[in-house]
Amino acid sequence: MAKLLDKQRYKCALGAMQTVQAITRAIPVLHSGPGCAQKLSDSIGSSGYFSPNIFPCTSINEKDVVFGGVKKLDTTISNALKVIDADLYVVLTGCIPEIVGDDTGEVISRYQDAEKPVIYASTAGFKGNNYKGHEQVIDAIIDQYLEKADEKEKGLVNIWADVPYQDLFWLGNIRELENLISELGLIPNTIFGYQRGISNIERIPKAEFNLLVSPWVSVGNMKKMEKKLGIPYLHYPTLPIGAYETSKFLREVGKFARVDEQKVESIINEHEKYYYYLIERYADMFLETRVMAKQFSVVADAQYALGITKFLVNDLGLVPAKQFITDDTPKAFQEQIKAEFENLNYGLKAEVNFETDSYKIHNEIQSHDYHGYPLILGSYYEKEITEDMFGHFLNISWPVQDKVVLDDFYVGYTGGIRLIEDIYSVAVQRWN
Amino acid sequence: MSYKIAIASSDSENINETFGSAKSFVIYEVSDGVCKKSEERICTTEEKVTKNNCNSKVCGNSDGCGSSCGGYGEPSAKVEIISDCRAVVCKKIGFHIRKQLERKAISAFDVSCTIDEALDKITFYYNRIDRHESLRK
Repeated sequence: MAKLLDKQRYKCALGAMQTVQAITRAIPVLHSGPGCAQKLSDSIGSSGYFSPNIFPCTSINEKDVVFGGVKKLDTTISNALKVIDADLYVVLTGCIPEIVGDDTGEVISRYQDAEKPVIYASTAGFKGNNYKGHEQVIDAIIDQYLEKADEKEKGLVNIWADVPYQDLFWLGNIRELENLISELGLIPNTIFGYQRGISNIERIPKAEFNLLVSPWVSVGNMKKMEKKLGIPYLHYPTLPIGAYETSKFLREVGKFARVDEQKVESIINEHEKYYYYLIERYADMFLETRVMAKQFSVVADAQYALGITKFLVNDLGLVPAKQFITDDTPKAFQEQIKAEFENLNYGLKAEVNFETDSYKIHNEIQSHDYHGYPLILGSYYEKEITEDMFGHFLNISWPVQDKVVLDDFYVGYTGGIRLIEDIYSVAVQRWN
Repeated sequence: MSYKIAIASSDSENINETFGSAKSFVIYEVSDGVCKKSEERICTTEEKVTKNNCNSKVCGNSDGCGSSCGGYGEPSAKVEIISDCRAVVCKKIGFHIRKQLERKAISAFDVSCTIDEALDKITFYYNRIDRHESLRK
């Protein structure tokens, strides 16, 4: 029987327009119905250069379904090139043109000699969600724009993380990853956010290696770059939050990039000293609140579910209840991710559920004995149920409705401290 | 299921008339996927070009006014004579007529091609959606 899925936790592949939006001065050109972009646009900040309300769109209707929308696409692209001053035009196709068989690739090929690059990504909703759409956009850049570089730039590393805007902390996270990589003496290169853009995209082929920090998103992109551009990659599946994981992360990247071991250790030592100084100062508070939340559940996409579970167990010594991964992780990656959840300190293992159905997730949370007040880190949908259980709730995954994040982040040593602040701010409110 | 398609053509071969200029509509009847020319309907009254009947000062949008005044011009006699059709095909069609057709659930296709090509594509489309089949070829 057909299933109705309410409380969606991701969008359709066309949501990848947010990925394009995150590249400064890149603009999505939508080949879709007029309502698609409207429904997909979030109010969580624009690129700073283009408002999402001006994205060129073919606004296809019944006539285009019957007679084909190719002509309209052609005029939309040529006019976009005339009136919008962008560095990169990314045509994204919705479901309708893909079903009726518009040959978007053929239309794009007419713009090979255009002044600005025009590329396209197939982002029909039936092909997957916006995590997949994000991969499609990066694939499009690799396939249609990048060429193998003759020589490499010493120390240059491309950093890739999870999906911009879908991940609330994307900007802060990627900047902090850049900072950590810089400390190792490497040169980070990222394409998303402020003062990044086409020039960073052009630098991609010169990198010595790609660093992917994500459980599964973009693994395909890394393989593609390895094949086409000859860039090897390091896949670090856990988002490093807090001292334990971040130190491990730095050691692993250092080893891969052949950074002097002593240098890595001294960087780690410096960071850890300050990190544990902060923890120590508040040790009393951690002990007192321990009584209040012994067990926790994370309801988020794979990167936060894994990153936060590891952080709360390894750094804070909390006990994991069941964890829920809600990003529709492809089957091929599930076993690998599960294994990561079983690789926690103190011999602990966390049970993990790949589930997109909120009804089932909520049932499981409600029926679990958290031995006290539960700590739930999830999307806004988990707020009500946590309140019903008198638990502590923190909104960390999409949709986010009770918090504004400009460039806050949870990555690294500082990110771990931020997460502690956020969690314990919720906890101490119970007393005051 | 059978349905009718109205076509604006002066030479019975190409779609070469706009909705406004058409003096007649050729009606094709499609029954069980087979398309047959059935009749020609002559537009008797001369159409007046009325953009819409609302007071432009009140609605502040004299041309093709949208949601604010709710009127899309005088009901067109031409819309009436094809009101039993499922679709109308012509070279061009105005916004206010399109709205009137929409209210009667008549699809409007403004294309420039031969009648045969248009009928092929439209009947293919209706055949598929009537049977709840994908439009994938």
